Amino acid sequence: MEHMPQVIRKTSPYLRRPQAKVSRMMSDVVIALIPVIIFAIYSFGWSAVWILLASTLSMTLTEAIYYWITSPKGETAFTLSNYSAVVSGLIFGLTLADNTPIWVVVITGVLGILMAKLFFGGLGQNIFNPAALARVLVAVNFATLSTYQANIPIIDGEAGATVLQTLNESGNLFNADILNHIPLWQLFTGIGVPGSLGEVSALLIIVGGLYLALRHSFEVRIPVVFIATVFGLASAVAVYQGLGIWYPLMHVFSGGVMFGAVFMATDPITSPITKPGRIYFAFALGFVTFIIRLFGALPEGVVFSILIMNMFVSAFDYFKWSNPRFTTKGSVIFAGVVVAAIAVVLVGVSYVG
Amino acid sequence: MIKKSRKVRDYKELTKALPTMRFLEPESVYIHLQNGRCKTYDLYVKEGDYVKLGEVIGIRHGGFFEQPIHATVSGTVGTVSKKLHRTGRKVDCVEIRNDFKETYHESIVDRTDQAIAELTQDDMVQILKEKSLVGLGGSGFPSYIKLATKEKIDTVVINAVECEPYLSSDYRLILEHPRRVIAGMTYIMQALHVKTGIIAIKKSKDPLYQVLTQVIKGKFPEYDIQVVKLGDYYPQGWEIEVFRNALGIDVPHGELPMKYGVIGFNVSTAAGVYDAIKHNLPVTKRYFTLTGDAIKYPQNYRVKVGTSVKKLIELSDGFKEDYDKVNIIMGGPMMGVSTVSCDVIVSKTTTSVIVLQDTDYEEQPCVRCGSCVYSCPAHLEPVQIMNAVKRNDKDVMKGLGAYKCIECGLCAYVCTSKIHVTDYVRKAKRLIG
Repeated sequence: MEHMPQVIRKTSPYLRRPQAKVSRMMSDVVIALIPVIIFAIYSFGWSAVWILLASTLSMTLTEAIYYWITSPKGETAFTLSNYSAVVSGLIFGLTLADNTPIWVVVITGVLGILMAKLFFGGLGQNIFNPAALARVLVAVNFATLSTYQANIPIIDGEAGATVLQTLNESGNLFNADILNHIPLWQLFTGIGVPGSLGEVSALLIIVGGLYLALRHSFEVRIPVVFIATVFGLASAVAVYQGLGIWYPLMHVFSGGVMFGAVFMATDPITSPITKPGRIYFAFALGFVTFIIRLFGALPEGVVFSILIMNMFVSAFDYFKWSNPRFTTKGSVIFAGVVVAAIAVVLVGVSYVG
Repeated sequence: MIKKSRKVRDYKELTKALPTMRFLEPESVYIHLQNGRCKTYDLYVKEGDYVKLGEVIGIRHGGFFEQPIHATVSGTVGTVSKKLHRTGRKVDCVEIRNDFKETYHESIVDRTDQAIAELTQDDMVQILKEKSLVGLGGSGFPSYIKLATKEKIDTVVINAVECEPYLSSDYRLILEHPRRVIAGMTYIMQALHVKTGIIAIKKSKDPLYQVLTQVIKGKFPEYDIQVVKLGDYYPQGWEIEVFRNALGIDVPHGELPMKYGVIGFNVSTAAGVYDAIKHNLPVTKRYFTLTGDAIKYPQNYRVKVGTSVKKLIELSDGFKEDYDKVNIIMGGPMMGVSTVSCDVIVSKTTTSVIVLQDTDYEEQPCVRCGSCVYSCPAHLEPVQIMNAVKRNDKDVMKGLGAYKCIECGLCAYVCTSKIHVTDYVRKAKRLIG
């Protein structure tokens, strides 16, 4: 035994899963976003490029400067290497309307990551989704500066308004006329639809989601349950009001439901930790989103519902009732909540419509 | 990543195909006088005494049981000194200098099949007690206490899953001595008046299935023994998991499986039962794997209990020159204990020594991906327990059931952020007692 290496004492286990890396998880999200980004640039031209650059750079640079100031030398709390700030920046940029001024993007981007992430202690400590918070800051502070436009002319002078806005403003929530302007296949593929940069094409978002699902880089249950909830509640309304299948499909494909469900609600840091918890969380997201869409005048229903439900994540995870397995009791309560949610929506609709 | 993942890369290809090398004659063996369960002992011999193989040289006193200590070679007794034990502590060891004559003690005489057929449960318990047989899978729990159960047992389960990565000693034991294992099993079945038995193996180990079914058909046709292939994941070898998958019995935390009519033994223990009943022989030899990525020639050995691992590493041509820092692990790489030097002694319950390159995993902040929660075989929430430990909240640790943790290490293995979650849960277990 000529070679005598130094023996180091450790505790078990001594092996780690080689594929599991935070940076891999985050860079997967970036890869999944690539088709959406390309389509955004194709639809909206250079404004999309500038907005995405501004949002990404403002968030990453803020994080870099923050850690450069706060953490003493040598301590690498600096988390740029795991792409989490890049992901937040890209997602934030993709939720914006294409004519949002760059200075608005920069201000809200900086504030968003500071308030939602860095002040809480950085990656893993935040309770609010930084991208969602930044988007809501735009909505509440700079609402008049961000209107939706596409470089494809929209018939009937409806240019600048998305499907949901048109529905809200037309006074009749259950008007099928809207589909005369924008058919369902356009809503699905996103061709010629006004809206936020990344939210218009349901198809490409599904492609990204499939990639993430195959790479196990996100929790599939959250988008599936979220979208299913929106679809289910809209179907209940459609049946109640005697509308066709177009109504729930329009709700799923329009606005930010697909994008929010796949890329924002699945942020593991701001969602519950157990499987049942994530399902309940996704259902609550779908419910709040649908309620905001029906009875609120805001086009940003998805980001608001994400922020609202982020606050309740610690309640979903509370040790006295969180359980990694499905229990009969939990399922019964959940079924009751689902029935109650449908009832609330239908009672509300009978007043509105 | 975010999924339930129980696949652990198993690295068994290093040693799986290698026949067991017999390394039976060390210059001197060191016999443990204490172990994890027994703190005090009496030594019946003194320096210079001559002992024979299999002779009782002392007795260990445990909480509610005693273990006779047997000499594993014949020779002269040396001094008592402190040596590293499997648990990582230094314990008293008595040295026996080998005279290479292999003189058996008078008590070691074979029983005839006739005599064995007449043994009752109490007789067998008595024999196992005298021969100091303990759970050789690593638990070290005295087998005679298990065998003396008064519950009505329906099925005897032999656990040959060996789900820890790198280990292959049980695999080789079955491949090379299937008859000893099955005979040991039939003795247990005879003692407990059980008609059915199950040998649980991994799905991927088809050679074991072939060997076992053939031997059962050819040599033990009168017994109802099934070979069951279980899933290829970790920790399939956990007794509770074996029962669940092989028999569909769910044993809740803290309850003995015997209450549910099943009893489980490790393969090596079954072979040990055979030796004890048939040859009246205590465990003097041990199937042992010396492997890892930092050792030149990984190998399966059959060694005398009490052999120094240092000698075995020399026999494997030492450490690889590539690495300056290594971990030396007694037991599997998921649950084993790391030692501070290679000067450790093979005890009855040591299944393996694994020499791994020392890797410092860069810890990232927890992103709450939930893979530890999804993967935990005991259905705990390791990350929540970790957070509770960080803020020292004992109520939450209790509420989350940290005491149920089996320390399989899967939560740290799957962690996306490479956090040593298992260590936190272990701390929680210690804190809530």
